[in-house]
Amino acid sequence: MTPVATNPAQPVARAWRPSSRVPWRLSWRDARVVLAVLIVALLAAGAALAERFATAQNLGNVLEQSTTLGIVALGQTIVVLAGGIDLSVGAMMSLAGVLFAGHVQGDAARFWPLLAAVVALGAAMGAVNAALVNRLRISPLIVTLGMASVLQGTALLLMPTPGGSLPEFATTLTYASVLGVPTSALLLVLLFALVGLWLHHTRSGRRVYAVGSDEHAARLSGVDVFRGRSVAFMLCGALAALAGTYLAARTGVGDPRAGTGFELSSIVPVVIGATLLRGGRGGVLGTLLGVWLLSLLSNLLNFLGVSSHVQWIVQGVIVLVAVMLVSTGRVVRRAAP
Amino acid sequence: MLALSGIGKSFGDVAVLEGIELDVRAGEVHALMGENGAGKSTLIKIVGGIHPPSRGTLRLGGREHTRLDPRSAQAAGVFIVHQEFSTVPDLTVAENLHMGIEPRRAGLLDWAAMRRRTRELAQQLGFTADPDDRVCDLSIAQRQLLEIGKALVHRASLVVFDEPTAALTQESAAQLLVRIAELRAAGVAIVYVSHRMEEVFRIADRISVLKDGRIVATRPTAQLTESDVVRMMVGREVSNIFPAKSARRAGACVLRAEGVHLPPRLEPCSLALHAGEIVGVAGMAGSGRTTLAHCLFGALAPQGGTITVDGAPLPPGRPAASMDRGLCYLTEDRRVAGLFLRHSVQRNATAATLARHAPRGLLQPASERQAARSVIDTLRVRARNEHIRVIDLSGGNQQKVLLGRLLERQPRVLILDEPTRGVDVGAKAEIYRLMDELAQRGTAILMISSELIEVVGMSDRVLVMREGAIVATLAGQAISEHEIMEHAARERGGGGSDAASPRGEALQEVA
Amino acid sequence: MSASTTTSNAAAPGTPGWRDWQSHPERLELVLLAAFVALLVLAAALLQPAFLAPGNLRDVLVQAAPLCLVVLGQTLVIIVRGLDLSMASVCASVAVMATAFNTTSDRMVPVIVCAGLALGAAVGAFNAWLVVRRGISPFLATLAVMIVLQGARFAYTGGAPSGTLPEGMAALSSGVVAGLPVSTWIVLLAAGGCALFLTRSVAGRETLLVGSNPEAARLIGLPVARRIALAYVLSGMLAAAAGLVLVGYVGIVDNWTGKGLELDAIAAAVLGGAALSGGKGSVAGSILGALLLVMVFNIMVMLGLPVEAQMVVQGVVIIAAAATYAVRQSR
Repeated sequence: MTPVATNPAQPVARAWRPSSRVPWRLSWRDARVVLAVLIVALLAAGAALAERFATAQNLGNVLEQSTTLGIVALGQTIVVLAGGIDLSVGAMMSLAGVLFAGHVQGDAARFWPLLAAVVALGAAMGAVNAALVNRLRISPLIVTLGMASVLQGTALLLMPTPGGSLPEFATTLTYASVLGVPTSALLLVLLFALVGLWLHHTRSGRRVYAVGSDEHAARLSGVDVFRGRSVAFMLCGALAALAGTYLAARTGVGDPRAGTGFELSSIVPVVIGATLLRGGRGGVLGTLLGVWLLSLLSNLLNFLGVSSHVQWIVQGVIVLVAVMLVSTGRVVRRAAP
Repeated sequence: MLALSGIGKSFGDVAVLEGIELDVRAGEVHALMGENGAGKSTLIKIVGGIHPPSRGTLRLGGREHTRLDPRSAQAAGVFIVHQEFSTVPDLTVAENLHMGIEPRRAGLLDWAAMRRRTRELAQQLGFTADPDDRVCDLSIAQRQLLEIGKALVHRASLVVFDEPTAALTQESAAQLLVRIAELRAAGVAIVYVSHRMEEVFRIADRISVLKDGRIVATRPTAQLTESDVVRMMVGREVSNIFPAKSARRAGACVLRAEGVHLPPRLEPCSLALHAGEIVGVAGMAGSGRTTLAHCLFGALAPQGGTITVDGAPLPPGRPAASMDRGLCYLTEDRRVAGLFLRHSVQRNATAATLARHAPRGLLQPASERQAARSVIDTLRVRARNEHIRVIDLSGGNQQKVLLGRLLERQPRVLILDEPTRGVDVGAKAEIYRLMDELAQRGTAILMISSELIEVVGMSDRVLVMREGAIVATLAGQAISEHEIMEHAARERGGGGSDAASPRGEALQEVA
Repeated sequence: MSASTTTSNAAAPGTPGWRDWQSHPERLELVLLAAFVALLVLAAALLQPAFLAPGNLRDVLVQAAPLCLVVLGQTLVIIVRGLDLSMASVCASVAVMATAFNTTSDRMVPVIVCAGLALGAAVGAFNAWLVVRRGISPFLATLAVMIVLQGARFAYTGGAPSGTLPEGMAALSSGVVAGLPVSTWIVLLAAGGCALFLTRSVAGRETLLVGSNPEAARLIGLPVARRIALAYVLSGMLAAAAGLVLVGYVGIVDNWTGKGLELDAIAAAVLGGAALSGGKGSVAGSILGALLLVMVFNIMVMLGLPVEAQMVVQGVVIIAAAATYAVRQSR
């Protein structure tokens, strides 16, 4: 952790760094290109090694299964880009699922209004997180850690065991497909596209990057840092809530422990997708590719009979490798993410 | 356009600015000159809304503004080209230029317009980077040009340039002056803060000189000469807070550096330090003084050159090794790299000599306490007891604690970087006295300082640095604020005196 | 930043006593924290007089032991500006390893203990390598290690741990010596050792300084990398100790032994005054923080409140404590 005396006149050149060019100029060294290539390689390997791997049905399943993680990871990406982290997403998912299933109780008419209400609640929780970080200057790690406890406890209080119910069409919807492509995957891509568009082509989106890259310089430039952070956390909360409702719709019930583990597993695709934990660098495309890569890999390993336990090892190693390739080796600017 | 009346600013009970009366008209370039520490930065920050003034009124375009912040200042038409970067490293040139005011088309950013404007500006400024290059990949000079570009994009009515040419080449600086002239012609009010005499005299309509937090004078440039300005900046009584130099005598050479360099900040430098002497290092911000000190001590590993202590080579880039050989270094920024802020005076004082207080492996509180009290006594640190946290001490006392920590090592060579920065007068006198005592007892002291009066008052010899090289060595009668300023501020190759001047007893540094 | 008043240095300097609040704000915080814990114990006793029965108190202590051990390690790592998310995984891995010996001989207990501690140290060393030599953020490094360990452990056990433990292992947690459970003695030993390390050893002092200001420490020649590494190694070993205690407690091994401990430990450390920004933390504070969480849990149970409510309270307490410390910091 000793600081490196950097020569400001010469940019550091390293292999496999996130490209210095902006998103629409990909170079062969770009992490996203590498991910895409890996996905293609996986598909090819899978097709060769396992009979039913490369079928439309299987791939469709993989896409559908990765939707939940994808939605949460999308939200996490936004917060990380803004220089923060949100460890309360798992708990938010659980609470959202519980509230959703618990209040809809199979009544189709309540489905959409409640969906909106729950997502709005997620946004509100995100606003609380941001306010605590902004006003009280507490690290996002601690704030969201505490919030996770509060939200998880609330979820368990409201529904100690899985319960509630959702109308049938909800489950059908999540498993539906259009021309062989699962609708949930289309939804996911749509969400990613919208957020990506926002991040790269609107003022408020660029503000997220500015805040994550250098809060002080951004403030000097007249950027409303507090507002930027609030927007990031609110979107993350809303997306976490959306993921929770999706999960509930999938299973048809609300489960107070549904989101357990997602707070940490949502960070993995973000990191693999070359978004830096310190903020300011990266994007949603990397996360999406990361989610799909992980899901595909897991699926293929299942076909090959590799136990889920070994898969964990593989996942951990992937995180380490990705981070080592992406890290700059400089002193981490913040004490904790 | 801008009118400051009775502006004053205090941080705690230290008054940094007092009774400032300043006005800047539309279509004029008003230069602000002054030594480091005269208060220029603070004044600029007040105008830009970063600090509120403690007293006085600020008027922009005729309207009084009582609660300014960076955003409302920008909205009111003020734009400051800071010394510290306001560009965000991970975003592109185009994005940074337009930050906060990005052109939009139907709610989405208009990249084409941004790129177009960026290219126009780039051409105007002589800027070679691409609109889509990330700022972190630019050189410092380019980043600085970018800051200036932001001023142009914002179409401000008042632009403050804070040392804009510090990292620019001759041509870029010339280009900048042309741009500024264009701005002036367009009716913009400009404040130009710089120590570069030639530039100021070329571009400024009026010059205000700031000294010790007050405006000494404001005159039209035509009525002033360069020496007038220098005199206004530095001329003062040399008070007798400096111990007599005659009691010190230089002994054998303790530290010798040859060709130590670390491009681009430090050109090859050579010097020799002798026991019992105090050598001052003067120069403007960015001249490489701290880099030199870091390389000598080992805080940075130089790219080349040799350093020997008592004839034996010193392994470069290793603070622990340097300290074992008797070198100690006092950082210029005590809060960032010197103090353990949350810890007590005692812990800070004993931080470099822990082994001494643990003879049998365990730290002895009594031994530590004694050492801490001795530091407090010897340096006259104003603290109720040794357990006060250093963050609660005044700047002068903090500095004393840091010095005390180093002195516990009984160093042979003491490298002090801005030893009295942010220190009140009383503590300053005590620090000077201490330095003199140490020198009399044989310690070699290298003192980097931006305060000319201190350099002149304390140094037996002075090395003047400019643009990464030692450009002059002064000794004896030749040591004067005026002389130092001349060497520090004049451009290289711009004529005038240089290191080979036979004036007084100036000596060439013999490697 | 107020200038302190001039003291006549010739007069007797003020002795740093417990009454010298202004120079020891941390002591004030500790006393308040201890008072709060005592208050909770009192409340528990009022709710249920049986709480203070020696048998019950022993149970509470045994229950608190793993968290106390883990919080010690987490505190050390937090002091050097890091986090150790791998601790729970180390706990479980050591527990699994203990049963892997598959022996009932009490003579193997020391061997098991040594092997466990060695595993913890090795993981800690790996964490340190990632953080110091590879420059990876501690959060990510320890997160990745946690996942890898989890996978290794599940792969080894096939998801269903088996194997036997010597009965002596149970003694490690619930055996009683001189009125106190063995695990409490272990905690006292570990806490005493850490306290001694931090307050009286050169290495410990260097660790505090390194965490407070790594650059300043580097410039006075302190071994920054080594101190950071030591913190992670000790943390790994403490997590291992917690795992050994837990495995004795439960008697059987669960692949999820110690789940959630690392996050609880972060919360406990912050409650005890450790600053995530580094350089600040104390054994007493962290242990008190752990005890606070344990007491809150117990009182909730006594009040008939579901465990879930405790989670809510815990979350609020964490945020409130962090806010209080943050506000004090900025003043």
